[in-house]
Amino acid sequence: MNEEKQIFTVSELTQSIKFVLESAFDNISVEGEISNFKSHVSGHWYFNLKDENAVINCTMWRGFNNYVFFTPQDGMKIIVTGRLTVYPPRGSYQIDVRSMKPAGEGELQAAFERLKQKLKSEGLFDVERKRAIPFFPSKIGVITAIDGAAIRDMISVAERRFPLVELIIAPTKVQGSGAAEDIVDSLTELNKIKDIDVIILARGGGSIEDLWAFNEEIVARAIYTSRIPVITGIGHEIDFTIADFVSDLRAPTPSVAMELATPDKQELKNAIEYLDQKMEELLLEKIQEYRQRIDDVVDSYMFRYPLEKVRNFYQKIDNLFYKISQQIDRKILLSEREIQKYFSIISSYDIEKTLKKGFTLIKQDDKFVTRKQMYLSSKPVTIKFYDGELNLDDK
Amino acid sequence: MSKTKSTKSFEDKLKRLEQISEMLESGEVQLEESISLFEEGIKLSKECLTILENAELKITQLKKEVSNKSTDEGEDE
Repeated sequence: MNEEKQIFTVSELTQSIKFVLESAFDNISVEGEISNFKSHVSGHWYFNLKDENAVINCTMWRGFNNYVFFTPQDGMKIIVTGRLTVYPPRGSYQIDVRSMKPAGEGELQAAFERLKQKLKSEGLFDVERKRAIPFFPSKIGVITAIDGAAIRDMISVAERRFPLVELIIAPTKVQGSGAAEDIVDSLTELNKIKDIDVIILARGGGSIEDLWAFNEEIVARAIYTSRIPVITGIGHEIDFTIADFVSDLRAPTPSVAMELATPDKQELKNAIEYLDQKMEELLLEKIQEYRQRIDDVVDSYMFRYPLEKVRNFYQKIDNLFYKISQQIDRKILLSEREIQKYFSIISSYDIEKTLKKGFTLIKQDDKFVTRKQMYLSSKPVTIKFYDGELNLDDK
Repeated sequence: MSKTKSTKSFEDKLKRLEQISEMLESGEVQLEESISLFEEGIKLSKECLTILENAELKITQLKKEVSNKSTDEGEDE
């Protein structure tokens, strides 16, 4: 081996390198920052791991990356575990990654903040775009794990509050790798159903890793583009995910999300009973009002003294009668006078008759002197004969 | 299907009930109309309460088209 330098073929050398490297680094953990991350349609991941001075290629095959709960982002510091492999056709080496985790707790938080800022600046969290949740939902789409406590809680809330509603449950993986994709898929499917009024995206409590799917960008974008309003109820009160920021309404827990999506049966009953009572009161009030009006009329003067009018008429008639009788009396009086007149004329004719027989009448001052004491000797005397008058003083 | 109708009809009935109450309150309707509105209202409220009482939660489970993405594969073992 020493005397003569062994001459390798390229393949032989590569095989040796491969053997040396792969056996020396068959189980390693490496910390670095992700760059050039690519998720191929085949499901395999390709990326570089780097620090200030060096770069190394990494691959993570489909099947292994299924167990990564987060989607790696460029700039994220991670620790990968795997083995070194050599790829002879290219003469290159790379890490065959079997698992990865964030390099520290701060890494996920940092990734969360990066995405939050990005989506916020794009307007995904804008308050103006948040849609109203309908008060009377016919159908509520529910995206959650089919076997979790969250779904049981939500069903019992719906049963208690508003059993008129229909729940359309989209069983969904809400944790671990592929969860984000499955959530997106469920959102898409529910959006195809035309009469769903609201979608609840929910998951019970868990660690930041458990809830990570709700911090993935694709989930945020799917909520944003959902035609149907989305309520999120993820984790506990203290947990805020990116999904919560994008959703139309954020509930602290799955149960509260269902409460926010449904009107309360008992409250509805109370409202209906209140309306019942109010209607009855209003009607009775109205009847009372009419009764009052009738009473007012009945109590009025005319109704209390119905004969008054008749009496008034009597009085009027009496008045008329009085007037008429007065008129008649006057007429009678006039007639009597007339008669008197004629009577005197007639009686005067009687005097003529007496005169004819030869009697005379004595007149003084145009008045007949019928008695001795009426005679005034100083006055001239006129004697009335049948055939004329004679003035005695006319000598 | 009938479930959807019952929610809708419940909502419609409740809206009509509220409307009737408002009409009665406005005092602009005559007595006879008031009485027939009241009768309609009482009937509606009974129907609403019956619907609420007899409602049973319907649950449908969505059957999603299986594995349209590579990411869905490999985990159902």
